Amino acid sequence: MTLIYLGCVILAALIWFATSVDLGFLAPSLLIEPGWLDFSLMLFYFSAAFFGGALQLYNLADRGFSLRILIDVEETDSDAVDADWLVANYAGGRGLTWMYGKRIEGLLETKFVDRKADMIELTSKGERAAAVLLAIHRFLRLEPQS
Amino acid sequence: MTVNPVLSTLIVVAIWFLIFICLHIVGLRSRQGNAQWLVRSYAACCAATLVTVAALSMWRDSGQTLLLLLFIALLTSACLFVLYVPAVYTILTSLSVATLILLRRAGGRLTEKSLYDRFATRGLVQQRLCVLVDAGYLVKDACRFRLTSRGRALARGFAFIKRFWCLGPGG
Repeated sequence: MTLIYLGCVILAALIWFATSVDLGFLAPSLLIEPGWLDFSLMLFYFSAAFFGGALQLYNLADRGFSLRILIDVEETDSDAVDADWLVANYAGGRGLTWMYGKRIEGLLETKFVDRKADMIELTSKGERAAAVLLAIHRFLRLEPQS
Repeated sequence: MTVNPVLSTLIVVAIWFLIFICLHIVGLRSRQGNAQWLVRSYAACCAATLVTVAALSMWRDSGQTLLLLLFIALLTSACLFVLYVPAVYTILTSLSVATLILLRRAGGRLTEKSLYDRFATRGLVQQRLCVLVDAGYLVKDACRFRLTSRGRALARGFAFIKRFWCLGPGG
């Protein structure tokens, strides 16, 4: 994803520099001046569309917990499901344990936690992140998630 | 001194977006319904942004320039919103974030089993099902849950996206 983003940014920058400011048809009142502001806005809009749009859509489709529940209910033969069925059959029959295992593996891969025997421990990176997140949760008066 | 109209528009957008963030935080701290409060406060601040830009530009610009400034204001505000919302929802609802916080509260280490007992549970599913019912994607029928037409459309849309990107079961 990062490579796709960087490739597209380089392409957009090349197109921006290679084309005329008015693209041959824009009225002067529709041009943003100075040029650096126009270029900066182009990069900002593209980055927002990528990180807030395409990447979020990808993440939601790939990891969205609530969305996967909706898809599981939609794909079942039965018209309705209960919580116990979802615990056992979440994500096309893999179950909730599989889902949480994926989260733990993600935290291990990104080195926020370490596994030592049967224990999961915060790394120093995880400690720092957890401290910030806990401070935000306390500031927002959020209850500990059960 | 003449202020660049685009720069002044961006400053207006930034100020109103900061006001929106403050409103959203106040709503979260006072336990307003998160999604509704988020959308309403953003809609109000976005409208205020456009009114401010129009009011500031009206005496100086007209026609196409005014339209351009309004378009830049709307687009910039929308971009800030799509960057802000995923960051907020990650902090509010992510299980990975909740795991880090639980570990921190427990002194930095817990058995793997206790994490599974906490997060891979029926209670977590029940909690999300209630959120989906409140959002209008599911209806509760005794102890079972059925999709609404809105929920079915969303599920089919994302199932298509998953197939399109070859994402596997995911979730």
